[in-house]
Amino acid sequence: MTNEVTLLSTMKSEWIKFRSVRSTILGMVVFVILTIGLGILVTSLIHAHWNSPGSQQDHLTFDPVSTSLVGTALAQFAVGVIGSLFITTEYTTGSIRTTLAAVPNRWKLIIAKTGVLKISMLLASEIVCFVAFFIGKAIYGNMDPSIPDTLTNGADLRAVVLGGVYLTLLSVIGFSLGMLLRQSAATISTYVGIVLVIPLVLFFFPKSIQDSLTKFEPSYLGREMMSVNPIQNAFSPWVAAMILVIYAAVLWVCGIMVFQRRDA
Amino acid sequence: MLKIQHLTKRYDDTLALDDLDFEVKPGVVTGFLGPNGSGKSTTMRLILGLDRPTKGSATINGKTYHELKAPLREVGALLDAKAVHPGRTARNHLLSLAASNQIKKARVDEVLEFVGIESVANKKVGGFSLGMSQRLGIAGALLGDPEVLLFDEPVNGLDPEGIRWIREFFRSLANEGRTVFVSSHLMSEMAVSADQIIVIGRGKFITQGSVDDLTATAHGTVFVRASDIHMLTSTLTSNGAEVHEINDLGLTVGGLTSDQVGELAYKAGITILELTPQRASLEEVFMDLTADSVEYGGGKIGVAHD
Ligand SMILES: Nc1ncnc2c1ncn2[C@@H]1O[C@H](COP(=O)(O)OP(=O)(O)OP(=O)(O)O)[C@@H](O)[C@H]1O
Ligand SMILES: [Mg+2]
Repeated sequence: MTNEVTLLSTMKSEWIKFRSVRSTILGMVVFVILTIGLGILVTSLIHAHWNSPGSQQDHLTFDPVSTSLVGTALAQFAVGVIGSLFITTEYTTGSIRTTLAAVPNRWKLIIAKTGVLKISMLLASEIVCFVAFFIGKAIYGNMDPSIPDTLTNGADLRAVVLGGVYLTLLSVIGFSLGMLLRQSAATISTYVGIVLVIPLVLFFFPKSIQDSLTKFEPSYLGREMMSVNPIQNAFSPWVAAMILVIYAAVLWVCGIMVFQRRDA
Repeated sequence: MLKIQHLTKRYDDTLALDDLDFEVKPGVVTGFLGPNGSGKSTTMRLILGLDRPTKGSATINGKTYHELKAPLREVGALLDAKAVHPGRTARNHLLSLAASNQIKKARVDEVLEFVGIESVANKKVGGFSLGMSQRLGIAGALLGDPEVLLFDEPVNGLDPEGIRWIREFFRSLANEGRTVFVSSHLMSEMAVSADQIIVIGRGKFITQGSVDDLTATAHGTVFVRASDIHMLTSTLTSNGAEVHEINDLGLTVGGLTSDQVGELAYKAGITILELTPQRASLEEVFMDLTADSVEYGGGKIGVAHD
């Protein structure tokens, strides 16, 4: 085993590749700044306007966790791009041939690549989500005694943890689209289309159809996963997480089947 | 040893390789020669398992590429020097390759130094000249100290000094007993750098042999001077030879060997003054061999007359 291409040796190789290009580093910086920065902005605004007239209605639906994690709504684009570029640049630069000459087993290669992506994105996302959450908590402070103390009940912990899971799964979706489409621009536009454009289109559908479809949108599933208060027409957080896992898995399997069959 | 058996590859409506069959032996530099589009790169990709053959196989010491446990330790290849992520440094590129095949880090510095790019090892590959990229590609091919080495058009873009360096390098690899397989579309290049040559055209095997074999089998001509040029001409043409009169003194004869020309002249009672077999140049042999299989022949260049 010491002189062979193993899953672990392939992961080491892919980890070197993942961390040694600017697209990953820049993507991560944007991801961190957006999530934490937007979280600070929104929680501070809510805090500053908490007692302004007419805000009583907002108090009823106030969700301290999802407002702290609001930055994920933008960060989901950064993680999708990181995931996409991790595979599409192999094609756009032609380095896929060098990669496959070193690791001819395509399943091994893709499992290693996905493994590196998942582990690093999960780690980064969880750290970022927890930081955003604690900053939000500090900003809200003792703003309103009627708000239940956070982190003492399991729902808050679940919402923050699933926030990291959500971003990780979206990076895998970006990666899988990249396997299928191979071109960076096409992959990123498709990704943006799925995350952003589908909800926009659905918005113009008749209310009845809208209500039954909206809850299946990836970004809506994310909201379900990250909210503490139950939202209307939505799955429970864990079911939402399962559905998103299925999306990512189906795309990933389609991607690897095409990748396996295609000439490099 | 590299063995190609009945290798066939079809892309949609192009038959890129048509039942190729040959062997590449260790200890010599083997040139892989063919006009543009004849299927050299396709063959290389199939050897590396990058593309799937329509039929047939390519094996390395009896194994297909996919069966190799640590391919970089058995086969080193340079297909396209520019096919590297431009944003990665040379060292990181090699480190990632080494890690996948469990090759130790120290080897990366060794090969960087060997190809002479250690001073730019921490620079991004995107800024490299073609010559530097070629050297990086060679470093990658050498990482696993493999027995079999494949190079697709390695001299493209190199300056004369680089070309000399690479020739000597191929020679030394072969002298170490390795299998060295180098493609080119330039006969002149192969004539000086290869011992054995395999010629293909339009995806088909044409011929194989040493540089000397190839020129010998080609239709050489015979230069002859004789006492009676005109009589000799008619004697030879009636025996099927193709004769070009150069001047009153000599003829160039095609289609007959010098022995045959001498014998015919003797029987006709003509005194031979000079009889010299003329070997075709390797370039002519190549043009001759691949004449029917040039995919992108240039159009006839005409001069307008009025
Ligand atoms: N991926 C592909 N899809 C379709 N056709 C292809 C593909 N790759 C090669 N071909 C075709 O196969 C034939 C052989 O091409 P190949 O690149 O192997 O030739 P080559 O000998 O390397 O030529 P050159 O000297 O120009 O590098 C050509 O007709 C080419 O157009
Ligand atoms: Mg070629």
